[in-house]
Amino acid sequence: MLIKSTLNEFIKIAAKPRSYLGLAAITVLVGVILFALKADGMSFISFVTASFEQTLTFEGNILNGNLVAFIVLQMLVIHIPLLVALVTGDLVSGEAAMGTIRMLATKPISRTKLLMSKFVAGGVYTLLIVIWLGIMAVFVGKVIFGSGDLMVLNSDGLVILQEADIGWRYIGGFAVAFLALLTVSSLSICLSCFSDNSIGPIVTTMAIIILFTIIGTLDVRVFDNVRPLLFTTHMASWRSFFEDPLPVAQIKESIVILVIHNIVLILISIFKFNRKDITS
Amino acid sequence: MKKILWLILIAIVPVATNAQDANQTISELINKMHGVKDYSVDALITSDIPMVKILPSKATIYFKQKDKFKIDSKGIAILPKQGFTDISKMLSQRDAYTAIFMGNEAIAGTNAEVISVFPVSDTSDLILAKLWIDASNDIVLKSQITTRSSGTVGIVYTYAAQKKWGLPDQLIFTVDVKKFKIPKGVATDINRTGTTDSTKPAAKTGEIKIDLTNYKVNLGIKDEVFTK
Amino acid sequence: MDTTEKMIEVNHLSKRFDSFEAVKDVSFTVNKGDVFGFLGPNGAGKSTTIRCMLSLITPTSGDVKLFGKFLASHRSEILKRVGCIIEKPDFYKYLSAERNLEIFARISGVDSNRKDIHRMLDFVGLNGREKHKVSGFSHGMKQRLGIAQSLLHNPDMIILDEPTTGLDPQGIIDIRNLILQLSREQNKTILLSSHQLSEIEIIANRMVIINRGVTVIEGEVAHLLNAQELIVRMEVNDVALTLSLLKEEFAQIIVQREEGNVLHFSVNRNHIPDLIKKCVARDILIYAIESKRKLEDYFIQMVTN
Repeated sequence: MLIKSTLNEFIKIAAKPRSYLGLAAITVLVGVILFALKADGMSFISFVTASFEQTLTFEGNILNGNLVAFIVLQMLVIHIPLLVALVTGDLVSGEAAMGTIRMLATKPISRTKLLMSKFVAGGVYTLLIVIWLGIMAVFVGKVIFGSGDLMVLNSDGLVILQEADIGWRYIGGFAVAFLALLTVSSLSICLSCFSDNSIGPIVTTMAIIILFTIIGTLDVRVFDNVRPLLFTTHMASWRSFFEDPLPVAQIKESIVILVIHNIVLILISIFKFNRKDITS
Repeated sequence: MKKILWLILIAIVPVATNAQDANQTISELINKMHGVKDYSVDALITSDIPMVKILPSKATIYFKQKDKFKIDSKGIAILPKQGFTDISKMLSQRDAYTAIFMGNEAIAGTNAEVISVFPVSDTSDLILAKLWIDASNDIVLKSQITTRSSGTVGIVYTYAAQKKWGLPDQLIFTVDVKKFKIPKGVATDINRTGTTDSTKPAAKTGEIKIDLTNYKVNLGIKDEVFTK
Repeated sequence: MDTTEKMIEVNHLSKRFDSFEAVKDVSFTVNKGDVFGFLGPNGAGKSTTIRCMLSLITPTSGDVKLFGKFLASHRSEILKRVGCIIEKPDFYKYLSAERNLEIFARISGVDSNRKDIHRMLDFVGLNGREKHKVSGFSHGMKQRLGIAQSLLHNPDMIILDEPTTGLDPQGIIDIRNLILQLSREQNKTILLSSHQLSEIEIIANRMVIINRGVTVIEGEVAHLLNAQELIVRMEVNDVALTLSLLKEEFAQIIVQREEGNVLHFSVNRNHIPDLIKKCVARDILIYAIESKRKLEDYFIQMVTN
């Protein structure tokens, strides 16, 4: 019954216009960034390498598809969660608002399975978003800008990664980015279980992300113990795949924290959804 | 009186002779350099620069008289801004500098003449160039170039098969890194929770080693190679 | 010994929402084959009770048994055999009628193919509308679609909460005929909550009335409505004389209203022959006399008492 319910959720997501909003938004956003970089990307790079260029010169195809993809990911890290929450935040509360939750909850399927099918469908949608982002950023970027070594500016300096060494990094980076966005999806579905309208969970999810991001960037001691536990702190962990040497322990820690977040959010959702009186 | 004149002569002649020697040495060096009409060489660039991490990268270097120079790299290569063609370019303009013999020094067991080159113009980017030249082979063993824009770049030259052309098989650049800064807010990690070690003293220099192999000298290189 | 199979057993059900007690103590039983009327004024707790019966709401106390099994512990097994419409049926507006039914069929525990779905749409009078989006459906069409989704998995029992709300007279008749067909031809047990008391009176064989969260009365419709006390409508030539007669000889009769030459009053059925005799004796002409226990009147009487 879980598989059948999940199929139902896929059908519903595919039929909603807002599901395509996220994909269209990514296409437009990435398109704009690619256009801008094609028009004046070297100035952007010069700004980054300015202080090095007094003594050094950089030869080779710096503004290549790999760097462009990296810049795209860097710029969109705040915006993609909204595109995910727009769909996943509606999965439970949207049914309540529409009244269909009443119809679903009188079927033989257990509420836990019904909810899990929504989590699975939300997860698959999130994966589609990440894959599309990857295609637009990496593939289209390489078609326009060609390939080459990747120059990454970290807080401790420049890292130049060789082209042959980049593929697996992007795969790992996207995998962790997916896990981070899956956390956003889980959070929005969890909030959706507490609401009977569509907008509330979406807005609340974004508010939480913004609040946690601000806490994460405020360099004050009072937040030092809290910061490593916030999921937003680990949303940028995909970048760790572009450091040399690879901070394996840090990446593992991020994965564990994000997985724990997902599990806790799912458990809270199951608890709430099973006890919820459906009066709408 | 005569004695004083002789004393003055004895003092001046070595200076005059030495200045003439410096120019002579440089002339011979230039002549040897002009013997190379063009060359291409494969380069393996290994960098050890603070705040920059890069694996050894490969490139091909092209040169054609009198000042055509190109580095063709498949990946990203980091090279010093100064030091490749600066010496030959600088030394070719005889009236743009003054060369002074500073003495002799042994470099890796070879006796080298130390010659300082000062630009005539006050507005030149070059402040000072110091060359250690093996006069018997007309090759530069070491150089130190100080410019307003790039600070001081030191270069150590090692020669092997292409010694007859004056072309090194290894160059080691030492560059000034004091001015390196990371721009904030651009392409930086947003939520880094770690802290940088501020107890370690900041490095002041970095090193770039270039191993040159597979020289093709005076085989002819088309001009299009330098314009693509 | 009563061997009738009990399809629904609601035992001392109560439900409290924060400080508000929507259902205090409701109990009733529905037998196999019943068309069971579930009545009560607005706010009596009908919807809450029905939602408790379908696991939409968790009762505060009491229990619900369906098909002899506790709902709390046999939910999936029970709901496979139950079809329902709760208030107005809501569907996915952006999907077609066919697609909506597919979705609900998939999680109803049956393998319904497109043929079954089309057959069901035909059954409820929506043939030709399979591919149309529900957003374009009228209220009546949605109601029909709701019935289709409640029947698609061939349930043994159907629970309908206000199925005729918003329908035109023809629509009401259609639903009534459908319910009768399901009951008589397919022997389905039906629990029907409605404000259309005339419809309940026609189709239900048993009923319960609740008020303010408490069961008021339960029993067979015919028995409850044919109780000794009747509502009489009598058309006479001289209302004043008739009223005078009633006052003198039948003080226990309560006149409810006068409409021109027509009197409405409640009277014990055993007094009616005597009343007619005495009217004739006083030369009161009786043009019409009807005695009937109307559900509407019975209902009002039960909930106001």
